[in-house]
Amino acid sequence: MKRENLGDFVSIVCFKGVITGMEDALGEKATAIALIAAGRTRGKNLTNSLGLSGAKISVEDIASKLDRALGTNGTRLCMVDKVERTDDLLKVYTKETVCSSGEEEGSPRKCTYTLGAVWGALENIYGQRYRGFHTESVLRGGTHDVFEFKTLA
Amino acid sequence: MIQTLTLNDVLQQFVSGTPNIQGAALVSSDGLPLSSILPASMDEERTAAMSAAMLSLGERIGKELSRGVIERIFVEGDKGYSIMVGCGEDIVLLVLADKQAKQGLLFLEIKRITAKLAKMVA
Repeated sequence: MKRENLGDFVSIVCFKGVITGMEDALGEKATAIALIAAGRTRGKNLTNSLGLSGAKISVEDIASKLDRALGTNGTRLCMVDKVERTDDLLKVYTKETVCSSGEEEGSPRKCTYTLGAVWGALENIYGQRYRGFHTESVLRGGTHDVFEFKTLA
Repeated sequence: MIQTLTLNDVLQQFVSGTPNIQGAALVSSDGLPLSSILPASMDEERTAAMSAAMLSLGERIGKELSRGVIERIFVEGDKGYSIMVGCGEDIVLLVLADKQAKQGLLFLEIKRITAKLAKMVA
């Protein structure tokens, strides 16, 4: 069913309403677990639909492909500026994340759904399991929302 | 560093050596699988997220509804039981048992294995 008049996009206000409403009813931790799991599934499905499953492409290519899918010309979840690899760590630099939108400077909010989406995408592309963390935030002095992924044995 | 192989061994021993236990999983409190012995039809990732979310929700119920510290989450179905317990600070143990399991014995065995696993992951 296509929305004839409203199209595919929904206001960020409503999306944030879902998150804060869930947090109110279920608590922050249970909500974070659910949203990270939802994001991981989304990231996996997205990379499947882009034919990237097991592609093992370079980190530069990942950044541009994810940005195309999730950024200005995609679903507008976030912009993906850069992906770096150091030893067993992948660092993904994003900005204008849906989670940070509308938050006050200094807000302790962490990205959960966005973290999960990037996480699921990377796991599916590299066929590797990771442990993900949101390590820097634009709400707390960072230039980007940075997600770090450590390889799990 | 958690020794996954050893955790797997202990879980395997628990599942195969305890009557009426059908599966068990250790998951991180943020919902990631650490080790599991589960029936093939169950998705490990989803099971891990569900278990951690459920225990967290139980803890919130305990707090919001003044039920104190939650000892376990116990789900009873017509085909068996699912029990979730905290195992150390950041780990959740899920145990699946069939309907024939005796609850007292089940809780006792879970208490024993939880103490053992908590030491291993400390």
